Amino acid sequence: MSRAAAAGLLAVLLVLPWAGAGEYPLALLYSTFMYATLAVAWNIIGGFAGYLSFGHAAFFGLGGYATGFLLVHAGLSPFLTAPVGGVVAAVFAALAGYPCLRLRGPYFAVVTMILGLAVRAVVLNLPWTGAAEGLWMTLPPWEPLAARRAFYYAMLAIALVTAWTGHAVRHGKMGVGLEAIREDEDAAQSIGVPAVRLKMSALTISAGLTGLAGGIYAYDRSYIHPDFMFDLHLSVLAVLMALLGGRRSWAGPILGAVVVRLVDEVLTVRVGTEVARIIFGLGLALVIVLLPEGLLPHLMRRRRAPRPPAAVPAAVVRS
Amino acid sequence: MGAMLRVQSVSKRFGGLVVLRSVSFRVDEGTIVGLIGPNGSGKTTMFNIITGFHRPDAGAVEFAGRSVVGLAPFEIARAGIARTFQLVRPFAGLTTTDNVAAAVLYGRGVRHVHEARAEARHWLRYVGLEDAIDAPVGTLTLAGKKRLELARALAAGPRLLLLDEVFAGLNPAESEGAVALVRRIRDELRVTVLLVEHVMRVVMGLCDHVVVLGSGQVIAQGSPAAIQADPQVRRIYLGEGYGAAC
Amino acid sequence: MLVQTLQALATGLLTGSVYALLGAGFSLIWGVAHVINVAHAALAVGAAYAVYALATRGVDPLASLAMVVPLFFLLGVGFHEAVIRPAARRAGDLVLVSMVLTFGLAAALENALAAVWGPGPRVVNVAYTGQAIRLGVLALPVPHVAGAGLAAVTITALYLFLHKTFPGKAVRAVWQNRDGAALCAVNLRQVTSLTYGLAIASAGVAGVALALIYSFSPATHLMWLVFVFLVVIVGGVGSLVGAVVAGMLVGALTNLATLVIPFAWAPFLLFASLGVLLLWRPTGLFRR
Repeated sequence: MSRAAAAGLLAVLLVLPWAGAGEYPLALLYSTFMYATLAVAWNIIGGFAGYLSFGHAAFFGLGGYATGFLLVHAGLSPFLTAPVGGVVAAVFAALAGYPCLRLRGPYFAVVTMILGLAVRAVVLNLPWTGAAEGLWMTLPPWEPLAARRAFYYAMLAIALVTAWTGHAVRHGKMGVGLEAIREDEDAAQSIGVPAVRLKMSALTISAGLTGLAGGIYAYDRSYIHPDFMFDLHLSVLAVLMALLGGRRSWAGPILGAVVVRLVDEVLTVRVGTEVARIIFGLGLALVIVLLPEGLLPHLMRRRRAPRPPAAVPAAVVRS
Repeated sequence: MGAMLRVQSVSKRFGGLVVLRSVSFRVDEGTIVGLIGPNGSGKTTMFNIITGFHRPDAGAVEFAGRSVVGLAPFEIARAGIARTFQLVRPFAGLTTTDNVAAAVLYGRGVRHVHEARAEARHWLRYVGLEDAIDAPVGTLTLAGKKRLELARALAAGPRLLLLDEVFAGLNPAESEGAVALVRRIRDELRVTVLLVEHVMRVVMGLCDHVVVLGSGQVIAQGSPAAIQADPQVRRIYLGEGYGAAC
Repeated sequence: MLVQTLQALATGLLTGSVYALLGAGFSLIWGVAHVINVAHAALAVGAAYAVYALATRGVDPLASLAMVVPLFFLLGVGFHEAVIRPAARRAGDLVLVSMVLTFGLAAALENALAAVWGPGPRVVNVAYTGQAIRLGVLALPVPHVAGAGLAAVTITALYLFLHKTFPGKAVRAVWQNRDGAALCAVNLRQVTSLTYGLAIASAGVAGVALALIYSFSPATHLMWLVFVFLVVIVGGVGSLVGAVVAGMLVGALTNLATLVIPFAWAPFLLFASLGVLLLWRPTGLFRR
């Protein structure tokens, strides 16, 4: 997407709430921003570094519970404390992630999945955040449309921060290091890549951004419960969106998020949550098999004019 | 000219298998040293110990006067030891340039990606891959991938370069080119080289000093001529008729 | 107190045999096909629902085996042929791809079950529910014994098959060294399909046993997946005997633990142990 087009899109998104958009489109876009955030954030550790986390819901839910706790016990608005949610998630990721990152491949995926389930089990029993009854985060008596606008802008801001971070990581030194780790971690270390440090950074950043989104989402939801704040489905969704859109680039996951959100919207309205989830499950299975690179690389390849055959001769040896 | 690398009484076992038995040798600065021996004699394990992927059970490894035992592999790489692998391990999903740029960024410590890429392209030219700059790794032949790995190792700015069977699988022309390149690395870049090799012609022609491992122990060391003449080496590795047919 | 402990231990060993069966099937697939079948527990739950559906029509769970075993065997073979083989052809890293793939399928299955039967728990009641066999001071619930017996018979059958029959030995050969077996003219495709069939069939049997012993809901497979991972990680991916020992151990310890800690914290304990184990010894406590 060209810079001009991107700038134009951003301008439209910024103006939309004042240009007469109603509650429904604002809510739809708000949730799309959230999904995009989740996907781009996940991709920093999952796509760039190749460490597929199946427990990102843990970070999301922790962000939400952090803002929830602060609202209920200190009266602070999540619009202010969402960054705290991000920090809580990031700190947790650093502590729990350090031992997890010592595992590779499927073991890492399994242990993060367990981590997600474990966090849910623990929070379900914690008294200070409502345990199994859940937590009420009542909104002040705003007008519905005004509330929608506030959440819209909050989530747009978070999405922009996440997009910027994703771009910065991907195109900077860190991105090269993470990709080297993904391709061959031992070879990467042999050229000086501090694998543990980089993975930890990637995971912490990823978790922080995810927690940030969770912090705002909790307020919008107004009632939070471990069953959906730490839902495994959410973790799977993060993986699906990034895989679908394309793991190699920072923007691919955004495409995946948009597609998933739209399909989700259409499906849920027509066939109900459970069938929608069935389709998601099957969709994930199909995507990973048929589109290992994701949609974005596919689309980019079609757009470019056909190239002349590669200029590299078959044998590249010179004395 | 002192010792760039000093290996002292290094022993290593894996479970019940003793792979290295009190191995000692040194690699002097500015030389090319060959490490030879039958398969299973512990050569690659030695490399893995030097580069920090295994810890020795006993013994010391000193690089430029400083112990490297216990350091993480990436720290050792940054300290100035680089290696290539027996079975090439390029970053398959990255371009040739980025493969090498990664080493510039993390081995040498350069901050900016575009600067690292420029330097990477220089290294690709140095090893003779100017036609493959920015190309996907999949377009390279095996010889090309070996050169890529060499470029990547050099880009990390090492003072000691470990080459693991770099000449395997190369045809005579490619081999000649590789030998010339290794000499240039020693002479122009002043990088000390320790190489593991099975191609004897190369070892004897290229190395200043040869260390022979057998069953995890050093059974001989010396100049190529001395090694070729050593009866024990001839018996266990070179073959009695070695030298006659060459 | 002692009686309570012994009772918990005994029931734990009984349920442990079902964990062992689940773990064994999962190990088989991982070891032979290099696929991590995250849907394994979900399939067992699916079988449990099948048992439930038949039970409501008056069919005894043990009788429903006659339908479950062949059906699940075919399902396993079909899954390998139709899904795994094409996936393996395209995938760079089959282990990870298979995880994501079967994850998606597990989620789909879970929601399909929920769509049909709702999210609430189901129980299968049979003629002998509530009865117990007296063994000295212990009272062993008959359904538990039935379930454990079923699991034991199946594991024994599996063991005999793997060690005493020619196809079984071929499976073990591939399990130990895929390429080596291929070089010995073992037909990898057939062996892998066979293994899949057996493994999924064993998941089906485990589901029948599960239905006898526990109540279950579509989401139960997640808890069971944790048990599976525990068994496989404690017992190692390479060993049937390891799975059995690990299963018994896990079953016994879980039950004993619930004597000491509040029931609500049991899942957390399970996760914590699994997490610790994975970090300490990902390849298992048993060497092959």
